[in-house]
Amino acid sequence: MPSLFRRKRLMVVLIGFIVLVALIGFSIRDRDALSTPEKFLQDTVGWMQTIFQKPVSFVDTTVGNIQDMFMVYEQNQVLKSRLSEYKGVIEENQRLDRENEELRQTLEKTEALSDYSPIQATVIARSSERWFQQMTINKGEEHGVEKDMAVMTSDGLVGKVKSAGAFHSTIQLLSGFDRSNKISSWIVREDESEAFGLIEGYDDESGRLLLEGIKLDEVVEKGDTVLSSGLGGVFPSNLRIGTVEEVVNDQFGLTKTAYVEPFADLFDINHVIVVDRTAESIEEDSVMDGEG
Amino acid sequence: MKKYIIALFCLLLLVMQGMAMGWLPKGLVYSDVLITPHWVLVFLFLVAIFYDREHTYSAVWFGLLFGLLIDVVYTGVLGVYMVTYALVAYAIHGLNRWLHSTFIGASVLTIIGIALADTSLYIIYSFVQITDMTWADYATLRLLPTLAANMIVFVILFPLIKERLSIWSEELMNT
Repeated sequence: MPSLFRRKRLMVVLIGFIVLVALIGFSIRDRDALSTPEKFLQDTVGWMQTIFQKPVSFVDTTVGNIQDMFMVYEQNQVLKSRLSEYKGVIEENQRLDRENEELRQTLEKTEALSDYSPIQATVIARSSERWFQQMTINKGEEHGVEKDMAVMTSDGLVGKVKSAGAFHSTIQLLSGFDRSNKISSWIVREDESEAFGLIEGYDDESGRLLLEGIKLDEVVEKGDTVLSSGLGGVFPSNLRIGTVEEVVNDQFGLTKTAYVEPFADLFDINHVIVVDRTAESIEEDSVMDGEG
Repeated sequence: MKKYIIALFCLLLLVMQGMAMGWLPKGLVYSDVLITPHWVLVFLFLVAIFYDREHTYSAVWFGLLFGLLIDVVYTGVLGVYMVTYALVAYAIHGLNRWLHSTFIGASVLTIIGIALADTSLYIIYSFVQITDMTWADYATLRLLPTLAANMIVFVILFPLIKERLSIWSEELMNT
């Protein structure tokens, strides 16, 4: 009788191991969409989180508001002095916008890579497993969110949509980026044209992004701004990413690598904007070709 | 009937686990130290110690179920938490026979269980190259802080839940 039990236990362990390997193999590859049960579970937990999140965020914002009230006077002084500077900039900006639009109309090219429609979303939870830099937001496919869309805060880019459920989606933060999520970007320099590079990962130790593939003869300095170029497929152009902190030659000495400090705080995120690019993305084109 | 209440409480802890990452002071949660909440697991240990009889394995089944839920909701890599939680809950269920069900005994079991679970998570995740931490880094930056943080949760949960689970356990035996 005991031998029967032991054999049964061994079988369970073996089957468990096979199931584990099969499930990991199934889920770790780059999937286009989540399976229906996963979407269902994600939405169910998402709704529960939304319910609990409401009162907490209410208290949180109230405390924040009260703290802000004490600083209102000082902020007001600073803002007033800035305001006059901005007036000139706004007028110039409007003039350039109009000019840009007119030129586009004469070219009959109405859609630019920088056009996008924003989808506002609230962060309802973060992954409790810290090795996964993920968070959940309360907008999903029903609101127009799709896989691989860029996600930003008012400060700058924070990540991209990893998977979209019906009413909630999962976001991969910049700090969890690796070589499979590249961002085509350009470095904006004074008095010079932009230099191109690809964001190819995140350096955990220093907390900075790695911008690789910059040509050796390009002069990139500390403090230069990095924007998305919109050439990579789904991201629109001109999303703010960060500033260059340090430039080094790569290990083969053929290109340069810049360490980029992200503009956005990747830890304290409450509200995000999912960026839906107006111009058709590459993926959509290929799908349409396949159908036609 | 009591099982549904236990399941609901597990679900509640699972939901809270993800939201707590947003509420707790960010200096603590997002420093170099990787504190990982295993609240569901802590509760399952209490279930295994005080609720389960020798022949009932509800903690193991709940470990399987809610481990899978954590995989789906928080990581996207299926199976890892599911197998780990179920195995560790089973181990604790087995070890429970050798220790008295007092506060000290339960805390020893919880420490062993969490260390076991977190280490196997580390091993599995380093096999599939989700993390590339060294063992030394893992032990100081993740294992010890995680143990400490989850023991705090255990100390809070223990007095709230122990009595009730024992009462339910009596009912379980009588039926």
